[in-house]
Amino acid sequence: MPGPLEKYSRQVLFPEIGEDGQARLIQSQVVIFGCGALGTVQADALCRAGVGSLRIVDRDFLEESNLQRQTLFSEDDVQKGLPKAVAAEQRLRQINSQVRVEGLVADVNYKNIDQFVEGTHCILDATDNFETRFLINDVAVKYSIPWIYGAAVGSYGLSMTVIPFETPCLRCIFESLPPAGISPTCDTAGVLAPIVNIIASIQVAEAIKILTGNSHCTNRKLISFDVWKNCWKEYEIANARSEGKCPACQLGRFEFLEGKEGSTVTTLCGRDSVQISQGGGNSLDFEQLAKRLRHWGTVHFNQFLLRFNLDHYEIAVFPDGRGIVKGTKDTKVARSLYAKYIGS
Amino acid sequence: MPIQVRIPVQLRTLTNGEEVVSASGTSVLEIIEDIEKKYPGIKDRICEADGKVRRFVNIFVNEEDIRFLDNLKTPISDADEVSIIPAIAGG
Ligand SMILES: [Zn+2]
Repeated sequence: MPGPLEKYSRQVLFPEIGEDGQARLIQSQVVIFGCGALGTVQADALCRAGVGSLRIVDRDFLEESNLQRQTLFSEDDVQKGLPKAVAAEQRLRQINSQVRVEGLVADVNYKNIDQFVEGTHCILDATDNFETRFLINDVAVKYSIPWIYGAAVGSYGLSMTVIPFETPCLRCIFESLPPAGISPTCDTAGVLAPIVNIIASIQVAEAIKILTGNSHCTNRKLISFDVWKNCWKEYEIANARSEGKCPACQLGRFEFLEGKEGSTVTTLCGRDSVQISQGGGNSLDFEQLAKRLRHWGTVHFNQFLLRFNLDHYEIAVFPDGRGIVKGTKDTKVARSLYAKYIGS
Repeated sequence: MPIQVRIPVQLRTLTNGEEVVSASGTSVLEIIEDIEKKYPGIKDRICEADGKVRRFVNIFVNEEDIRFLDNLKTPISDADEVSIIPAIAGG
C-alpha cells in the first residue's frame, strides 16, 4: 500500500474501514474534553489512527502523580510544569505530524463550550467531573454530534455511546447530577491505569466506527468493567427514550448549556478566593466527606461548615455544596481542586 | 435462594467494602429493604425521602432497567441479579 495510506495500512486492511473509511478518518475533526488518564490514551490512539484534526481541551497543569496513568507525559514535562494540553500537543505532533493537533488550556463551561465543538464530528469525554459531562451531553444533543461517555475510578469504569436522537443520551439514563461530595474521585479513591486504558480504548473504538461511517456498529448498551472484581457487564438502555421525558434529547431543554443547572464560579475580589455554587441545594454528609478527605489534609467541621486544608489552599464547603477555595484567584485552579476533592 | 445485589463503589463504605451482597425478597423494594436491615443507611443513598429511586441512580435486574419494568415493584425471582449503578465521574 504505497502513498499516503501506507502509515495506516494495517487499519486499512481491516475491511470495515478500508480505504474509504481511512479517507473519512483523515477528513474528520474530533474534540477530547479532558487530558488526564482517559484523554491521553484517547488522543494517542486517535492521533495514530490518523484523524484529520484533534482538539484537546484541559484546564490542569501536570503533577508527578499523573505519570502513573497519563500516557503522553514524561518526567521532563512535569519538571517544566507544563499545562497538560500543551505537553500533549507537543508529544502528539511527534507521534503523527499529519494530524492537526490543537491543545487548548481552558476551563470548559456553559459560556465557552459551543466554540470548542464547532465543526466537530465526534466528542470524546475524558473529564474528571459530572458537570462537564452533562454540559457535553447538552451541547452534543443541541448540535447533534455523537459523543462517547466514559469514566473510571478505582478498578471500575463505565461507558456508553450517545448518537443524539438515535440512542439514549446521558440524561435519558442519569437524569441529574449527584449532589456534590458523595461520589468517589480518582484523587480521593485512586484509579488503576488498566481500567482507564480499557474505557478509553472502548471510547476510541466507538469514535473510529462513527468517523469511518460505521455508526450502525456502535455499542448500544451501558457497559461496565471492573478489573479487580473480574466483572464485565452490559445493561440494556435501548428503551430509555420510550417515556419521552428526557429534558435534553426529547424536550429540548439544555439546562446545563443555559447555565440553569450546574455550578457558577465567582472570583471573590480582594480575598484570593473563588466561590463555587452548586445548583440543587442538597444537604451534604460532612462526616462521610471528612472521613475521605482526612487522608489528604486536615479537616474540621461543624454543622454549618467543613474546612479542608491542603498545601496552601483551603476549601470551605457549606451543607448545600457551595464551596469557597481560598489561596487562588484562578477559577481554573479552584474548579479543579473542587472537582478532585469534593467531587462535582 | 438469596438474590445477589451488586453494590457500587460509592456505597461500599456502608457494606464493609463488599461489592456483592446477598438479600432476600420478591420485589426490588423488598430487596432494598432487606439490605437496609443489614447495612443501615444504604436505602437513603438509593432512594429519595419519598421512596422513589434517586435521579442519578439506576437499578437493573439482570440486564434490564427497572424504570422500564415495574420500578421498585419489579418482581424478583431466584437467580436474578440486581445491580445498582450510579453515574461515575473519574477520568
Ligand atoms: Zn436524552
